[in-house]
Amino acid sequence: MAGWMGRVVRVDLSSGEIRDEPFDQDVWRRFLGGRGFGAKVLWDELRPGVDPLSPENRLIFAVGPLTGTTAATSGRGSVSTKSPLTGTITDANTGGKFGVIFKKAGLDALIIQGKAPKPVYLLVSDEGIQIKDASDLWGKNTDETTDLLLEREGSRASVACIGPAGENLVRYAAIINEKHRAFARGGVGAVMGSKNLKAVVARGLRTVEIADKERMKFVTYEANKWLRAHPITSKGLPEFGTSVLVNIMNEAGIFPSYNFRQNMFEFAEEVSGEAITEKILVRKDGCWGCIIQCARRTRIPGDEGEGPEYETNWALGPNCGIHDLEIITRANYLCNRLGIDTMSAGGTISCAMEMTELGYYDAGIRFGEGDKLLEYLKKIAYREGIGDELAEGSLRFATKHGHPELSMTVKGQELAAYDPRGAQGQGLAYATTNRGGCHLRGGYLIGRELLGVPRMIDRFSAVGKGSHTAILQNLGAALDSLVVCRFASFALNEIVWGRLLTAVTGVKYDPEDVLEAGDRIFNIERMFNVREGFSRKDDTLPRRLLEEPAPMGPTKGRVVELDRMLDEFYEFRGWDSNGVPKPETLRRLGLEECLNG
Amino acid sequence: MASEKYRELMEEMKRIGRIVFQAGLNNSHSGNMSVRVGRRILITRRGSMLGFLKDEDIIETGLEQDDSGISLASTEVAVHRAIYKGTSALAIIHSHPITAIALSIVQDEIVPIDVEGSYYIRRVPVIEFEFGTGSKEMEEVLPKYLKNYRIVMVKGHGAFAIGDFLEEALHYTHVLENIAQITWRVRAMGIDTRQFEREYFHKW
Ligand code: SF4
Repeated sequence: MAGWMGRVVRVDLSSGEIRDEPFDQDVWRRFLGGRGFGAKVLWDELRPGVDPLSPENRLIFAVGPLTGTTAATSGRGSVSTKSPLTGTITDANTGGKFGVIFKKAGLDALIIQGKAPKPVYLLVSDEGIQIKDASDLWGKNTDETTDLLLEREGSRASVACIGPAGENLVRYAAIINEKHRAFARGGVGAVMGSKNLKAVVARGLRTVEIADKERMKFVTYEANKWLRAHPITSKGLPEFGTSVLVNIMNEAGIFPSYNFRQNMFEFAEEVSGEAITEKILVRKDGCWGCIIQCARRTRIPGDEGEGPEYETNWALGPNCGIHDLEIITRANYLCNRLGIDTMSAGGTISCAMEMTELGYYDAGIRFGEGDKLLEYLKKIAYREGIGDELAEGSLRFATKHGHPELSMTVKGQELAAYDPRGAQGQGLAYATTNRGGCHLRGGYLIGRELLGVPRMIDRFSAVGKGSHTAILQNLGAALDSLVVCRFASFALNEIVWGRLLTAVTGVKYDPEDVLEAGDRIFNIERMFNVREGFSRKDDTLPRRLLEEPAPMGPTKGRVVELDRMLDEFYEFRGWDSNGVPKPETLRRLGLEECLNG
Repeated sequence: MASEKYRELMEEMKRIGRIVFQAGLNNSHSGNMSVRVGRRILITRRGSMLGFLKDEDIIETGLEQDDSGISLASTEVAVHRAIYKGTSALAIIHSHPITAIALSIVQDEIVPIDVEGSYYIRRVPVIEFEFGTGSKEMEEVLPKYLKNYRIVMVKGHGAFAIGDFLEEALHYTHVLENIAQITWRVRAMGIDTRQFEREYFHKW
């Protein structure tokens, strides 16, 4: 089979059973892989209301048809589950090389269920799949775990593991691969911890079959030509990393700080991409086979690692009122070792800081207290003292203390580094994501509203944003299922992805087929969430963004006009006014499985 | 006239319409264009001058259902609707670029030979219809092509370009006409342009 490896394996950690699942080609063609395949499994197999941290929940590692090919940015991997942070469906996507090596082990997907009686890790290799004892690894951080497992399984392996945060079921624990890369969001690490699964180690040398090698060569050449020509993928990202966005967003008045109390940061320059390049950069780096190379290998006194990326930089820095790049970087390294999502960690701590500042609840930490930030991250990972409350995420924490409005979340997940009061479409995108607050799963409207990709649209206007948001959500869902990097789409559109997919698989995918697959995936995720009780009432934003005008800069005086955009969005999608996909929409997308859900 | 809530889009239609006319991509009264918002569409009035659109020249109607606006809409409203239903387009421009039309009469695809053209477009299929303007056949066939290409030529008639924005559809239209002009001028020098066409563009 071309593109896909043709193998799905199920591991039941409770019984220890490992078995091959039938490979349903029709499912893979319709849902592509990665996030799409994960959504299909979760829809089919999870009963509504299941506790995400119970053995019943599934954790699905999956790659896509382009993974490990010459297609641009195809060195990535994906994991899907029901989120312990939001209660929604979620998926997390990582860079590095884990995804590629996983595929080289001969698999498209690994469905994990149950709970091991004692800590274990999974070895996934082209020689077979084994459940192995991890008792000696429990309690170790991700660096130590990775080193020990590479020693044990060989240096050509790739390790994706949890740290103390995952073991202690921090609701936003991450899975860390190759020490510095993360399946970051939604608490996927906590789900792994709840299953007593310390790591998945991949090892393999298989190659991916390409249906039409000549065509693949040509389309790859064309795609790389675009990547090399586009200023964002050829200059901005490689030269300054993702933090190239700091100054751009700050100048536009949409760079939040102090838990979104401000929409600009007075010290932005100190944490900018330029500052990172000047002060801490060792060299640029990138995921397997990627020509963009946006990652930053960095060094601070006494330590070395990767990052901070834009979102991390912001969440642990400006959003907490911190502008000391060294502390932000140290906090980033620490999160990686503890296995915590930097965005939700930063968002939760900034909420605690504001609660303290306003005198609502003394969480013992205030804006700007960098040293305490490091201490609090440890408390969270080990659930010590106040850390136990903060490990639940900002919404649970703020609600417990009577001020849910200070949690800057959607559906319980902390938002990203864009203040939507100055980018209306991004506001709608945040509100309608299937995995809770996220700038990517909701549709990266910033591309159109701020960066002019592929064209600039009026960022302050609410007109037409429902349609643009839906289209970007569909494209994003397809890319996450292929499984490729979102940054490539600054330069490449669905036409190129369709051509690549056709060349690799031999199945004809028109550009519109790619978007339709994304539409199908977005809708099955939505149906999952509807089945869990989510509806229009949950497609909303923190009160601050809807009612408190942005205080400064070019965005001053704006709020998000959500309701107006939401109606158009539902109409465009073919959902009813409560945000439920209509039967004819499900039929159009071939989602018969959801009609009686 | 379209609802005032679509003011920004109406102004955009006027702006793009002016450029389409000034660039010679349409004559004084030819062509039409539309945008989609949710399940509504705004489309130019039948017989309107794209270069001089006024508020009353922009008609609002349903994507599926007719309302009173339909009696004033472009004769090609059914084709626009079919394209929106069959693709994810948010904007459509139907134009009559002269050189591209000339090429479409003598060849069944247009492939760029210049650098700029081949950066944006690799291949523009030419489709032949028994009946032209507003025919049922066009409603059925055009969306199928536009699932795969952002711009297509109807033989001897004109171009249909789609995009997420009018500006995007305008850009494709302009690039197509530029490709056609360059091809024509090289041929005018007595040179066979096929030698410059990259083999793979024909399979794009
Ligand atoms: S652009 Fe950056 S994150 Fe994306 S694949 Fe390349 S190196 Fe990895």
